[in-house]
Amino acid sequence: MPKVADFETALTPTWCPGCGNHAMWRALKETLEELELPWTDFAMVWGIGCHGNGADFLRCQGFHGLHGRALPLATGIALSNPDLKVIVEMGDGDGYGIGGNHFIHSVRRNIDMTAIFHNNQIYGLTTGQASPTSDQFMKTPSTPGGVIEEPVNPVGVAVAQGATFVARGFAGDIPHLKELYRAAIQHEGFAVVDVFQPCVTWNKINTFKWFRDRVYKLEELEGYDPTDRTMAFETSMKTFHELTCAPDECKVPIGVFYREEGMATYQDDLPQLTAPLHKLADSPRDISKTLEAYAG
Amino acid sequence: MPEVSDRRGRELRVKIGGEAGFGIKAAGQTLARVFLEAGLDIADLTEYPSLIRGGHNDYFLRVSQNPIFSHVEDVDVLIALNRETVDLHLDELVEGGAVIFDPKEVSPAGWLPSGKIRPVPVPLEEFARQAGGAIMRNTVALGAVLALVHFPLEGLAESLRVQFAHKAPEVAESNIIAAALGYHYVSKNVPDFWLKPRGIKNAPKQLLIDGNEAIGLGALAAGVGFYAAYPMTPASSILHFMAKHERDHGVVIKHTEDELAAMNMAVGAAFTGTRAMCATSGGGFALMNEAFGMAGVSESAVVVGVITRPGPATGMPTWTEQSDLRYVIHAAQGEFPRVVLAPGDQAESFELTWKAFNLADQLQTPVVILGDSYLSDNRRSVPVFDLDAVTVDRGKLVTEGDVAQHPEALGENGEYLRYKVTDDGVSLRAVPGVKGALQLGNSYEHDEYGYGQPGESAETRIAQNEKRMHKLDLARTLVPGPNYFGVAPADADIAVLCWGSTVGPIREAAMWLAEEGVPVAIMQIVTMWPFPAMEVADFIGDAKRTMIVEGNFTGQLQGLVREQCLLDVDHSLHRYDGRQFTPERIVAGIKEVLADA
Ligand SMILES: Cc1ncc(C[n+]2csc(CCOP(=O)(O)OP(=O)(O)O)c2C)c(N)n1
Ligand code: SF4
Repeated sequence: MPKVADFETALTPTWCPGCGNHAMWRALKETLEELELPWTDFAMVWGIGCHGNGADFLRCQGFHGLHGRALPLATGIALSNPDLKVIVEMGDGDGYGIGGNHFIHSVRRNIDMTAIFHNNQIYGLTTGQASPTSDQFMKTPSTPGGVIEEPVNPVGVAVAQGATFVARGFAGDIPHLKELYRAAIQHEGFAVVDVFQPCVTWNKINTFKWFRDRVYKLEELEGYDPTDRTMAFETSMKTFHELTCAPDECKVPIGVFYREEGMATYQDDLPQLTAPLHKLADSPRDISKTLEAYAG
Repeated sequence: MPEVSDRRGRELRVKIGGEAGFGIKAAGQTLARVFLEAGLDIADLTEYPSLIRGGHNDYFLRVSQNPIFSHVEDVDVLIALNRETVDLHLDELVEGGAVIFDPKEVSPAGWLPSGKIRPVPVPLEEFARQAGGAIMRNTVALGAVLALVHFPLEGLAESLRVQFAHKAPEVAESNIIAAALGYHYVSKNVPDFWLKPRGIKNAPKQLLIDGNEAIGLGALAAGVGFYAAYPMTPASSILHFMAKHERDHGVVIKHTEDELAAMNMAVGAAFTGTRAMCATSGGGFALMNEAFGMAGVSESAVVVGVITRPGPATGMPTWTEQSDLRYVIHAAQGEFPRVVLAPGDQAESFELTWKAFNLADQLQTPVVILGDSYLSDNRRSVPVFDLDAVTVDRGKLVTEGDVAQHPEALGENGEYLRYKVTDDGVSLRAVPGVKGALQLGNSYEHDEYGYGQPGESAETRIAQNEKRMHKLDLARTLVPGPNYFGVAPADADIAVLCWGSTVGPIREAAMWLAEEGVPVAIMQIVTMWPFPAMEVADFIGDAKRTMIVEGNFTGQLQGLVREQCLLDVDHSLHRYDGRQFTPERIVAGIKEVLADA
């Protein structure tokens, strides 16, 4: 089984020193090692953004797709080869902005795959414009007067749309993040892991320190029931805050918001998907019966 | 110049018109099946607005003992289910043609009596009610038309059973009664009609099929495993066809959230080695463009159907045009190899689709089937598809075992190189699941492994770009060549160049002209890209006089001929009103040109 070092390519990560992507990369490699997944059994898919550059650094079977389109690309893989576990990495602009429609539909399909969102609340790769999860009033090169709209609430959207696994992690807490990754990858169904991934270069507000001062774990919250959809939704609303809020005024929950096991996945409802579909093209298909309907 | 010989009496042309939602197309196809069973050649044409109810629909059926290639303008029997049909189509009726109508619904005022028309009043609604419901008016009319032309009723009963096979058996039986009422009424009350088509005994079996069904069958035959689409007329019926056969043929069909998803999913499925396809019309293809380019740079074997309707934007959803040729040839940013195949008829739709999958695998690049509404929506009788001719060639594909068994695909360090530079530009494609086949499919430019970062070096860019573009040379040796009809260009009064579905009306026109002693040569380009410049240049060079017939305003094929062959044609004929050329129009256009000569 591949070890952490085997998952590394010869290329050195180009992320800025201190970027949250380094921690997420490490957490994923370690989780993959611990899950003892052979290389042949999983496929990775990335969108475009700083997060997506990770495609060059993780040695595996993977595809670095288009900006915003990682989920449908991954869906094509998952729906044509049931032997592959599929793990997708996206950015917040990538997954919630330009690819937002695919996010909603992947959730409601409960397609069996893991969707990890590198949520740095900014467009990193394109030099710091506002993202769909940027806080309201945040000033960026594309919003010099401050962001006007409310941020997307990805956890809330996923919960509302019927997701069967929704979690939020923080790149500043790798052991916790690994627990979430493991649970998500093992979950049968669509698993959403939104990860606070501070961008040290462009987002000067939501920094590591900002999160360290504010995050708390739902696992440690007395009375929190991750099988209660309403509670999960209400808790997801707690992420919104004033940009300048003091640490004790705004707390940010991380952990598993919601999970529901035993629900049918999209793949479960495809009885024809028992083996890789490339086998269907080993020889021409016999369509003589189908032709009869058109014959005189 | 002699007149076009009169085809009257040698074939039957029926038009059924009425309000949308009255099952006009279904009724028409039921009639078509009767003649198919009798061994006759068939071409139909459905015209309908983009509405579910209301608005005018009409169905045209042409039946002949001789080979035919398209619809025509003339109508021998008009079934007018409403007054609007008379207003819109009476002038298409040949002299002495019949109008079947219900006097209760269609008042004779204003168009009857007329010495040129044979009125056939039939109490359609009354008979339909007797049989069980007014909805069966059009079935009564089908019985009436068969009686009028002295064709036996039996075949219609069988065809109605096919039409209503998915309903309770009583439905078919009531319709059979309705048809019989119409049939016997006309037999008894209507004087002899001059048109009497006859069936052909022991004629070879044929299929009655539309272009989209043929594309779907071609994909199935090729072993398609994954099909994704978002509904868009006129491509939607491929989705319906595929979905209908999802379970019996083990294909995964996905109706996606949009066309962006459809194309990306197809690329994902192709990544696993699955034969993958998506299809749409021009608007949906616009959304697919970026991923279409990704298929190019990531060397993904996907088949994309683009079924044209008049554009731009939402355009005219249910009508036809040939205005997407340039668009499809150039779609997506950057440069990458692609193959674009344009079937001319239903038989070719089948053949080119299964071949498209082979080409996509052999070249590891996207292949487009470029069709249009005329082809996709309308049925023709074609010889039963030769399933023994279908082959599967997956090119350099490995789906099992260990990639180490393929040393030619490995780098110096023993690593598998998905994008290894080769002589023909095609690299060994070992899919995920094959041991050692670690790889990165990439939408970025990349190195031989697939990594994006080293892909930015000038050397790597040149190597990978040239590798991909060289596949076009290989493509030229694999793609189907043009079709030629009629006489050789040197022997023709005019040599006509065309592509796609216009070849039908052009062949028909050429046949009529030949009967009048005007020899015509036809070249139908089948592979639009890579463009067969040599063949086109030869054809033009040999001809005394040349003409392009294409269904667009700007002369897209003509532009390609100028660009690729540094030659031009002498004349061009265009149509861009949403309707297909009729042979009559083409004959007139050619005669005009020859008269000036
Ligand atoms: C269709 C398209 N539009 C725009 C871009 C340019 N682009 C690349 S990454 C990106 C946004 C990156 O932000 P995010 O997804 O949050 O990822 P991050 O870089 O922060 O990891 C944009 C706009 C693109 N590649 N493709
Ligand atoms: S720009 Fe931001 S997100 Fe991108 S690598 Fe640098 S710190 Fe990370």
